[in-house]
Amino acid sequence: MRKELLRPTRARSGAQQARGSAHVYWLSWPCSVRCAPSPRRAMGDPFRRAESGTQPLARLEGRSALKNLEPYLFAEEGSPVHGDVIEFHGPEGTGKTEMLYHLVARCIIPKSGGGLEVEVMFIDTDYHFDMLRLVTILENRLAERTEEMIKQCLGRLFLVNCSSSTELLLTLYSLENMFCTHPSLCLLILDSISAFYWIDRSNGGESLTLQEMNLKKCANFLEKLVSKHHLALFATTQTLMQKSANSAESFFPLKLTHETDTDYRPYLCKSWQQMVTHRVFFSKHCNSDNSKGFTVTSCHLKRNHVVKRSFSIAECGVQF
Amino acid sequence: MVVLRAGLCPGLTEEMIQLLRANSIQTVVDFVASDLEYIAQKCSLSYKALVAVRRVLLAQFSAFPTNGADLYEELKSSTAILPTGSPSLDQLLDSGLYTGEVTELMGAPGSGKTQVCLGIAASVSLGLKQHVLFLDSTGGFTASRLYQMLRAQAEEEEEQLEALQRIQVVRVFDIYEMLSALQELRERLSQQVVSSMDPLKIVVIDSVSAVIYPLLGGKQSEGLAIMMQLARELKTLAREFSLAVVVTNQVTRDSSSAPPKPALGRSWSFVPSTRVLLESKEVTLQKATTQRIASLAKSPRQPVGIQAELDIGSADVTPTERL
Repeated sequence: MRKELLRPTRARSGAQQARGSAHVYWLSWPCSVRCAPSPRRAMGDPFRRAESGTQPLARLEGRSALKNLEPYLFAEEGSPVHGDVIEFHGPEGTGKTEMLYHLVARCIIPKSGGGLEVEVMFIDTDYHFDMLRLVTILENRLAERTEEMIKQCLGRLFLVNCSSSTELLLTLYSLENMFCTHPSLCLLILDSISAFYWIDRSNGGESLTLQEMNLKKCANFLEKLVSKHHLALFATTQTLMQKSANSAESFFPLKLTHETDTDYRPYLCKSWQQMVTHRVFFSKHCNSDNSKGFTVTSCHLKRNHVVKRSFSIAECGVQF
Repeated sequence: MVVLRAGLCPGLTEEMIQLLRANSIQTVVDFVASDLEYIAQKCSLSYKALVAVRRVLLAQFSAFPTNGADLYEELKSSTAILPTGSPSLDQLLDSGLYTGEVTELMGAPGSGKTQVCLGIAASVSLGLKQHVLFLDSTGGFTASRLYQMLRAQAEEEEEQLEALQRIQVVRVFDIYEMLSALQELRERLSQQVVSSMDPLKIVVIDSVSAVIYPLLGGKQSEGLAIMMQLARELKTLAREFSLAVVVTNQVTRDSSSAPPKPALGRSWSFVPSTRVLLESKEVTLQKATTQRIASLAKSPRQPVGIQAELDIGSADVTPTERL
């Protein structure tokens, strides 16, 4: 990030300061997108014509292939395919968010620059997304480092912040329309899906059903979104709890246990656990003599394939 | 959960709500998730009207996506980097405290957390002429020490006094007081009446662990929920109003030989974007030293593990601490 861009702005008026609120973004959004009705409305909707003939086709086969997204991240060749749900799991500071920046950069860089040139929707529930970090990564990866080029790439990224599980659910409903109108929107990222865990758990009182109600609805709707619009979903879950001492609920098949010393305990609702197709565990070596200080353990849950790879994080982002 | 009621959005009439309630649609979520075609038939309501209401409700209660390019433009004009008053700490933090982020200073008692906080307050108030909000939950804020720091940096008395006036100190001794102080801040900022002079750029909380510790243990999930509510409030304040938020935290160790880690457990560990560990340079029983080692434990910009030496100063602030 070029800091001279930031420096002159230290002393700013109060009016400018308030510009950070979501309210302004809302107003700056093109009206046509905001008001466009969801094409899945049935017969009789006078706005049905908003979906042109090419869009259903785009939905069916137009989403670009994602297999070159990051092959090192997957246990199987050719992953991810549309419809895959990939969970990133790990403690704080193990590179989950960095890996997401890496994936976002891979997607939004144009084909001429070696990227996939597809659009990404990033749902940030932790208020954690660092745009300046993403720009640094882009600057390091683009041959042509102009502001114009950076903005062209960032134009393929959409960001939305949610501050409660109810807002997340309603936002998912409202996003459906966008997936219909943006055929090149292939990747949905949710960082993180465990953000509301404690608040929901406390609000739900004694009843597990109430505690999990919103997240369950979110998971069910995400599953529908992903399969209907041929998306790949990446979501992070934080290691909020220690692995329980009871080894019977070990997640890995016995033969793999020794290879994977991960501290994993599923605590999110069943609906979410069941829709995940790949789970990637992140960890960090404390005694890193080699430059690659981070490790991912990637599991294909349907086929029980496991692969372990190391990566490093530099100024230009994740490197395998 | 927002319950449907007349006047919630245009087109949603009392009559409509009664019919919906009869079909166990009570909240906005219920309504949005329902099959409107089916509802239209069953309640003999106009399908068009239902679609219109759904659209307005979604617009009202969902968050709206921003294009990355627009957000970047926004950030370029709203992000600021605030100097901490110590050049070596600034260097560690990639030139200072970034607005929009929560930065955590962690360290054992006596590691200099409060001194660094006071140094930040002095530097932002004096050097940048910006207001500072200092939430003191331990009683550790010492006006005389702050004045000492200001005197070392500014010659004129008037300048020193003006700087002192720009630092607002609020004493909060439990989490509810802290949340209400933050709520008050949010109201002030959103009404744009911060002050007639300068906007607020930084909130310092010394310490966050002092108010959270009493909540943990026992019936755990409730305490953790309140802790996460505080975390959410800090992060949204930082983002929405472009504030730098600095919090201090204690450290714990898994075992006596293990490296220090932040207190407050796993859930809190995800909250700050940047984390700095403060330690005394050498532990000597005879003589307290003013030298501290700051090491970067988490950062979105710099490699973690890098270290810097800083002098938290005794009575006089060393010349290198001058801006």
